[in-house]
Amino acid sequence: MNALLGTLSLAVLNVGLALLLSPLVEGVLRKGKAFIHSRQGPPITQPYLDLLKLLGKEDLRTSRDPFYRAAPALSLASVLLLATLVPMGTAPPLGFAGDIVVLIYVAAMSAVFLILVAYGSGSPYAFVGGSREMMILLTVEPVVAVALVVGALKSGSLGTGEILAWNAANGPTLSMVLAGIALLLALQAQAGKLPFDIPEADQEIMGGPLVEQSGPRLALLRWTLWAKQLVFAFLLVELFIPWPRTGWVGIDLLLALGKVMVVLVLVALVDVVNPRLRVEQAMGYYLRVAFSSLAALAFAVIGM
Amino acid sequence: MLLSKLREAWICLKAGRVTLPYPFEPHDPPPGFRGKIEVEADLCFGCGGCANVCPAGVIEIQDLGQLTRALTFHWSRCTYCGRCAEVCPEGAITMSSLYETSTDKAEDMVLRLEVFMGPCGRCGRCFPPPGPMDRMMVTGFRDDRVGGRPEAWSAGPLGPAAGTRGSGGGLAAHVAAPRGNGGRP
Amino acid sequence: MTKTPKGIHSPWASRGPRLLEKQLGTSLLDCRAIEPDTLWVRVSRKQIRAAVETAVHNMGARFLISAGTDLRERGDGYGIVHLFSLDRDGLFLALECLVPEWEEEVDSITPIVPGADWSERECRDVIGVEPQGHPDPRRLLLPDDWPEGVFPLRRDFDYNERPPAVEGSRPPLKEHPAGTTVIPMGPFFPSLEEPSYWRIFVEGETVVDCDYRGFYNHRGIEKLGDSVLSWDRIPYVAERICGICGFIHSTCYCQAAEKAAGVHPPRRAEYIRTLMLELERIHSHLLWLGIAGHIIGFDTILMQSWRIREPIMWLTEEISGNRKTYGMNVVGGVRRDITPAQMPGIRDAVTKVEEEVLAVKRAIVGDTTLLARTRDVGILSRKSAQDICVVGPPARASGVPIDARLDHPYAAYDDIPPTLCTQGAGDTWARVLVRVDEVVDAVRIIRECLDRIPDGPVLTEMAGEYPDGRIGISVVEAPRGEAVHFVMTGGVNRPYRWRVRAPTFPNLQAMPVMIRGQNLADVPITLGSLDPCFSCTERVEAVDVRTGKVTLYRKAELEAMARRHRP
Repeated sequence: MNALLGTLSLAVLNVGLALLLSPLVEGVLRKGKAFIHSRQGPPITQPYLDLLKLLGKEDLRTSRDPFYRAAPALSLASVLLLATLVPMGTAPPLGFAGDIVVLIYVAAMSAVFLILVAYGSGSPYAFVGGSREMMILLTVEPVVAVALVVGALKSGSLGTGEILAWNAANGPTLSMVLAGIALLLALQAQAGKLPFDIPEADQEIMGGPLVEQSGPRLALLRWTLWAKQLVFAFLLVELFIPWPRTGWVGIDLLLALGKVMVVLVLVALVDVVNPRLRVEQAMGYYLRVAFSSLAALAFAVIGM
Repeated sequence: MLLSKLREAWICLKAGRVTLPYPFEPHDPPPGFRGKIEVEADLCFGCGGCANVCPAGVIEIQDLGQLTRALTFHWSRCTYCGRCAEVCPEGAITMSSLYETSTDKAEDMVLRLEVFMGPCGRCGRCFPPPGPMDRMMVTGFRDDRVGGRPEAWSAGPLGPAAGTRGSGGGLAAHVAAPRGNGGRP
Repeated sequence: MTKTPKGIHSPWASRGPRLLEKQLGTSLLDCRAIEPDTLWVRVSRKQIRAAVETAVHNMGARFLISAGTDLRERGDGYGIVHLFSLDRDGLFLALECLVPEWEEEVDSITPIVPGADWSERECRDVIGVEPQGHPDPRRLLLPDDWPEGVFPLRRDFDYNERPPAVEGSRPPLKEHPAGTTVIPMGPFFPSLEEPSYWRIFVEGETVVDCDYRGFYNHRGIEKLGDSVLSWDRIPYVAERICGICGFIHSTCYCQAAEKAAGVHPPRRAEYIRTLMLELERIHSHLLWLGIAGHIIGFDTILMQSWRIREPIMWLTEEISGNRKTYGMNVVGGVRRDITPAQMPGIRDAVTKVEEEVLAVKRAIVGDTTLLARTRDVGILSRKSAQDICVVGPPARASGVPIDARLDHPYAAYDDIPPTLCTQGAGDTWARVLVRVDEVVDAVRIIRECLDRIPDGPVLTEMAGEYPDGRIGISVVEAPRGEAVHFVMTGGVNRPYRWRVRAPTFPNLQAMPVMIRGQNLADVPITLGSLDPCFSCTERVEAVDVRTGKVTLYRKAELEAMARRHRP
């Protein structure tokens, strides 16, 4: 009974963090970006206000297809599900139910729903955006997979909690560091940041999959993206930079949050000093990263 | 690659935040700025030189009977070139430094000036020829439209004849300004 | 045998007419030097194509514009003038033919000069002289619901006339090739600041061809010039042809009018014009750099280059009284002088800009992601650039050594010649480099202007009327390329005909060549790299573009509201 309550409260905590904190994180990143741009920038609460405004608007749909109608909500739900599989401060609340294999599938789901939205909306820009999203997904997922498999090999377990515990106890190893770097590079695309915001490219295809989305649907899709970048950042810092570890959930969580901010600021820095790549350039880049991360796998196999 | 990214970041950080707190703090334009036109109604004697040179047709002139000429300024058309201020022989038009001209009242965008055009019995002041308007005639600032056109481009019946009437015939002028002191003899 | 026209120093003054006569087999109808730099040749209507062929192939002439004029009042039918530039000799060549009122046809020269495509279609739309043998005779600039047979630039068409709209009209679109998909870009598109409608034909993401329908911004400026405005009002309207390089247009118009009137502005005024033109070049190129960055998602470049640009705007505000529309030019000189007290400020501001631009250049030349998006993107070969008569930085980036400031020196450019900044690659990156180099060179020119500016008045007053039957042709090297103004006197205190060609007009025609075979993602930056200015290009006719019922309804509603509130 107690264990169930603990799991539930942890799940609520993770979901709450992903839902409520992610707009704030986005707001901080926007402010930082504005600073680099030599301008004032919006207040850091602006993403919340954006969400409120969009949620209060009329729901316009371009298709009656039930999948299309539900896709934004499903997309956000899949990210929230992902949040329960990712350790935040302590072992993941639903770690018993899903290991990294499930995690990889769930991680891909939100992108799949976005592609559904794109193809359902019937705009040529959305079609182009959807196919670009798919191409990016196909090349970024292997990088994520290889990085997580390295962790699994080192710890001898497929559970994210076990990988976290093992890495916290055994200190940095070469293969884990390499895998961490690979995951950091993948984060750039997962968070939809430049130079990889190709599916949404405003100036080329007017927001791609989002071009026909408005009101609550747009709010949910935006929220998905922000929550996704926060959850992925947590995955990165908890699995690959878990030190120091106090054992107190609250303190560990705060430490992790600090590290998440550092990682995301780094991502945002890369974002502001880069132009957008073409999709085949981005795919070439991630294929190279994927092959390089195989080295981490090799090191892990020989025990480094 | 990395070096050039660092250089780019350095350019950004060195500049710091440069945007101004406008509109929370006023932003004064430099001297010589061409802002909204100000009309000193008492100085106008109705020569119509401003209407003649205005490229946007802001100033519309109508002669109401024998003695009164009405100048209507349609600010919404103004392009702030400042030609009217430049040619006004009496300095009745000046360019202010006002640039926040948006308004929700259409009547703010119109100014009507009625100028008494008859010879003045009180002061008897007159213009020594060649008056400023005559000089303008030879420098080419004039509108030769015959008959005028109905739309806003029209600057009223203002051929060379009308211009000459303004300076040669009109010895002096008193002004009926639209606000406050209107109706002065 | 035609006599050699007097007053032109170029060897072509005697060789040109002789060569033309030899090729045509008859004597020329008229041949005269209307200015020391302009050779005016009239040939018969049937020989215009052969004459153009001789000019282009034997004399190396570069096509500028065609101007159609309604000369029926003078009993000459319609005058079609093809203007050329002999860049090496600093000579303009005008080939004119008269089309009788009852014929309304002339041989198209587009098969010989591909760059004349739009000029001829425009001429057909507004004057109504059909170019025979034109490869693509679709409507170019009149709106889709404009009735056939109504030609707005004819003299008997009132400037405020509104012909009834044709119901159920459709835009004259090109058929897309079999097996391709159409990706529309426009009429409103995020990376284009102004309306223009591109239809990109793609296979997968590879561009096969494109179609253009534009001219949504017509403001009827040329018509106003010959029907409503007066000589001295036009500079302020000309300045509003473009929101970025307006001073170019007012200078170009004033120079053309000065040539036609035989007025010479004082030397000091010419120096001030040069200074303002170069300030405008700096701010325009920096603005472009920002927009180009923005198009490829690099907003940091946008913010920083506009930050660097801002002091130039403050400077022009201080000198002229406004940030952008300077209102400085009048026929015969300028209105405001530059005081000695302003000069140190100008010097400091441009020096700061130079430093910062060089720092930006140092930073971006090694930026591999930026290079990945700009190198080998939107390649325009030297051959195509010359065929399509591309001008300005896009031409110079393809290795075509043309610059109106050098070829036809105006203002003070004979004292302070600019450096010709060329690149060979012809891609987007080359165009970036050309523009950055030009900013640095503009700073040098401004410094030299300040050093060498002579004392004296700034305005030569016009005495008397504009002589009748005179023609003024002027070119000005705008930041986007060369702007051409053509003025014909004879109107009532206004030009009989005023023809404007903005640099984007020829440059846009190079788009299909530049994007063929490219990735769809590169289309916006390729278009952006031309620094297109649709307002400039679309200055010709006053019309309402009614795209649909919704717009119409809203417009009527707005008008009703405006009327209700009118006092």
